[in-house]
Amino acid sequence: MILWLAAFGRSRSLLLVPSLAVFVGVFLAPTLFFFVVSFWRVSLFDLEPTFTLDNYLRTYEEYLEVGAYTFLMAGIIATATTVLAFAFAYVVRFKAGRFGTILLFGAIVSLFGGYLAKVYAWKTILGTNGILNTTLLNLGLIEQPITAFIYNPGAMVVTLTHYLLPLAILPIYGALRGVNDLTIDAARDLGSSPWEAFLYIILPQCRSGIFASFAFSFLIAAGDYVTPRLVGGSSTTMIGNYIESLFGFRFDWPLGSAMSFSTLFGCVAILLIANRLLATVRRK
Amino acid sequence: MRAISANRFYAWLWRGLGALIFVFMLGPLALVVLFSFANTVVTTFPMQGVSLKWYVALTENIYFWDALTNSLIVAGAVGFVSTVFGTMAAMALARLHESIAGPSMMLLSVPVMVPPLMVGIALMVFYVKVGLQLSLFTVILSHLVFTQPFVILIVYARMVGFNYATVESARDLGASPLKAFFTVTLPFIRPTVIGAALIAMALSLDDFIITFFTIAGGNTLPTFIWGMIRTQTDPTINAIATLLVGLTVGLSIVAMVVTRYRG
Repeated sequence: MILWLAAFGRSRSLLLVPSLAVFVGVFLAPTLFFFVVSFWRVSLFDLEPTFTLDNYLRTYEEYLEVGAYTFLMAGIIATATTVLAFAFAYVVRFKAGRFGTILLFGAIVSLFGGYLAKVYAWKTILGTNGILNTTLLNLGLIEQPITAFIYNPGAMVVTLTHYLLPLAILPIYGALRGVNDLTIDAARDLGSSPWEAFLYIILPQCRSGIFASFAFSFLIAAGDYVTPRLVGGSSTTMIGNYIESLFGFRFDWPLGSAMSFSTLFGCVAILLIANRLLATVRRK
Repeated sequence: MRAISANRFYAWLWRGLGALIFVFMLGPLALVVLFSFANTVVTTFPMQGVSLKWYVALTENIYFWDALTNSLIVAGAVGFVSTVFGTMAAMALARLHESIAGPSMMLLSVPVMVPPLMVGIALMVFYVKVGLQLSLFTVILSHLVFTQPFVILIVYARMVGFNYATVESARDLGASPLKAFFTVTLPFIRPTVIGAALIAMALSLDDFIITFFTIAGGNTLPTFIWGMIRTQTDPTINAIATLLVGLTVGLSIVAMVVTRYRG
């Protein structure tokens, strides 16, 4: 901290001021204020500054189940995303040769494919009158449209995994790119099996990349409300849907704030545990 | 002989896995683009015919033009301001020791890791409490928070390879700091800065959640799409989604080309 301030004292570091001003003024201050609001209460459709833990108690009493469900879904989505991202990055780095460049380019293109466009794409594919159903009907494979494709947890998992996958590929690929081929060859020459070389040479070196992908996917999935609304249906309401409604027609910002921070703290706790588990994959 | 064919088999198995994930990533987007040119309302294979009628329908919608204008204003402003601020920060950070620059960039990147829903509502509550009228200005301000980390990271990576002796000679020869920047530093980092600006614009164009909470009336392209998805299923949505995908993907491809991005 002192080092940082000392470095900041130099005039050159004045160049940092605009960015820091944006960070403090449009992120840090609003977030801290939003945290303070979680201890306030609403009376007569206005915020009343006070200090109460009621919002957190209500979150715990009324939304514990929704929260647990949200974390479960986020865990499933983040795991699926990370596994697929690792498989893809591994193929690009070690198995695909020049074909890998095309694969990676595809991943980067789909990175910017549009969040809503992707959710909408799955809605048109899986819907009752969607591409999957009408195509199956036309082919005569089914008589009636299958309504079970959409509006269930599975549809939400597929859609969010699809959205998060390109974002999760990049950190893992970045880590895999740093793995030196010589060390793998050396391990193989010394008699280790391909599996052992993978487990003791490759995997430990991209642990931080894997964790970055998992953490990012988990946080975004746990805070999403658009995908559950559009393809998840009424059976898969996530905590984000409740939070969003508190800022719309159910005006209760303090409760919404308490729910937001409870979710965020819950995510951080789960990710710390996940990081601990991942740390058991040690370099030998 | 058998060993070789087994190896070949495994090589193709790995490539097949890669290709499968590739199709999973790009397939749905390709379908959206494909059906934006469909002739019928029902999206089905085989396609009945090709037409541009959904695009024509879009151009006749005045709300679409408002949304497009707003999106371009926001993306332009965010691209410019975020690039200027981010480049300044990256230049300062590049001259600091890595043990300070690294954590500083991590700190500035925190907004990207927080779920957009929470950033969006925290900003909305803050603007309302501070008395800042929600408008395109608040949207632009909000977008700076999650676009500037990308600019900083991209430009910083380039500045690390910069030879500061060139700037010092320019200064010794009497150039002002600003003149030295425009004649020596900027030409060196220009492609990277342009690339970073395009990435910032693509991210801004694509944002829905934070925009949704910090815009008062009116629409940007994503909030316009949101309104349409909720109220109707109409291939016009395919047309506008195709437009948005084309814009963001186009910007990012141009960005990769100008920065000579190699994986």
